[in-house]
Amino acid sequence: MQIDWLTVAAQIVNFLVLVWLLQRFLYRPITNAMARREVRIESRLAEAKDARAEVEAEAERLREKREETEASREEMLSEARQEAADLRKELEDDLRKAMEARRKTWEDHLEDERDDFAARLRQRAGHQVVDIVGRVLKDYAGSDLAGQVAGTFADRLADLDDGARDKLTTAAERADGPVRVESSLTLKPGARSKITRAIHEFIAPDLEVEYQEDDDLLLGVRLTIGEQTVEWSATRFLSRLETTLDEVIEGSGRHRPDRAASSG
Amino acid sequence: MEISPDAWVLYEWQGLRLNATIVFTWAVMAFLVLGSWAITARLSEGETVSRWQVMLEVIVAAIRDQIAEVGADSPGRYLPFIGTLFLFIATANVLAVVPGYQPPTGSLSTTVALAICVLVAVPLFSIGERGLGGYLRTYLQPTPLMLPFNLVAEASRTIALAVRLYGNVMSGTVIVGILISVAPFFFPVVMQVLGLLTGLIQAYIFAILAMVYIGSASRTRRRTGNATASQDITETGD
Repeated sequence: MQIDWLTVAAQIVNFLVLVWLLQRFLYRPITNAMARREVRIESRLAEAKDARAEVEAEAERLREKREETEASREEMLSEARQEAADLRKELEDDLRKAMEARRKTWEDHLEDERDDFAARLRQRAGHQVVDIVGRVLKDYAGSDLAGQVAGTFADRLADLDDGARDKLTTAAERADGPVRVESSLTLKPGARSKITRAIHEFIAPDLEVEYQEDDDLLLGVRLTIGEQTVEWSATRFLSRLETTLDEVIEGSGRHRPDRAASSG
Repeated sequence: MEISPDAWVLYEWQGLRLNATIVFTWAVMAFLVLGSWAITARLSEGETVSRWQVMLEVIVAAIRDQIAEVGADSPGRYLPFIGTLFLFIATANVLAVVPGYQPPTGSLSTTVALAICVLVAVPLFSIGERGLGGYLRTYLQPTPLMLPFNLVAEASRTIALAVRLYGNVMSGTVIVGILISVAPFFFPVVMQVLGLLTGLIQAYIFAILAMVYIGSASRTRRRTGNATASQDITETGD
């Protein structure tokens, strides 16, 4: 076991030189490189963390936006549904009103037709009755209907009460033109003279009489002196007939709109 | 049979002898420095790192971790000294597999030189850490009566460091030599392999003990935990 002190000194110097060289070529570069890499990794991690936080915030924002959109869509849908329901109700109401109006129009039309029909029936029935009565009178009484009507009218004038006759007389005195006699049938000269005679006898002896024809009277005679009028005609009987016919038509027509409504 | 490479003189000039210990030490130094330079000249700080750089980083990081584990607050401060102790001894021992090479650590001169370096480094680091007064006070602790014992401990642990390394490395060489003469086949190979292992262990023990001495002298507080650690390592080394 020998110690060569010269070698010891040389080895100490060698070792110190080695420490310096290794510090220069190994420890410092390696340590620095590691430290720099660590710093860079840390900064990258921090960057990644920031980016992630950013992305998460963005995702959160998008989610909120989507929920908002969803909510507004729901709202719009419910609004649209409400509007559709309102529109449907409105259309239904309109349609119902239109149907009602059409039904009313139809009913009015029916009513008019019925009235028209009744009027025509009445007119034709009146004419028919007059025709029949005239023929019956001609066949069986040997005289014409106009003559009978004129006779009846003359009898009526004779049967007038005093009050009515006074009024007619007063009216005849005031009148300055001829009195007018209207009849539905053409009066023969005999019948005319009979009526003229009755007027002269019962109202005023010197009255001028003028004859006219009026289909509206159906069957009868009307005497007009100024504002006063004396009339005998079959219209009264026809009015009763009309009433009866009305009742019959009303009774049969009452069923028809109901049937129309139920079938429509 | 040469026990110490000191006796193997390669060149002599005017009384100055250049023995094998110094030459092989230079060889080890050249190996370490050139190797480090070759690798650190192309250092990469990016994601792709060469495998050689990874190896160096692993070694440096491991040494730093060990220093920190012994209890130093700033491993970077002790890294050059302790790291060089470990790398030099380990390389010197591992290169023993090269034929014709004699590890310089098998010379008592080298181990004494290293132990003297530790002996000087302990107070230097301690003074740098706590100041001259603070360092001197450690010799009077726990009581001034302990001053002689502290001085003896300082000297004896330096001698123990030197002799432990020298004895282990030299014994490995000697045992291989004896075994070659007794059983020329197979056993020397096993002993060589074992020698590699003990060489690395010795490098580790030497560096760690140096760090423990420096650390225990540098710290004022936190003594208890590290005192037991140094005790364990001392026992393992013996």
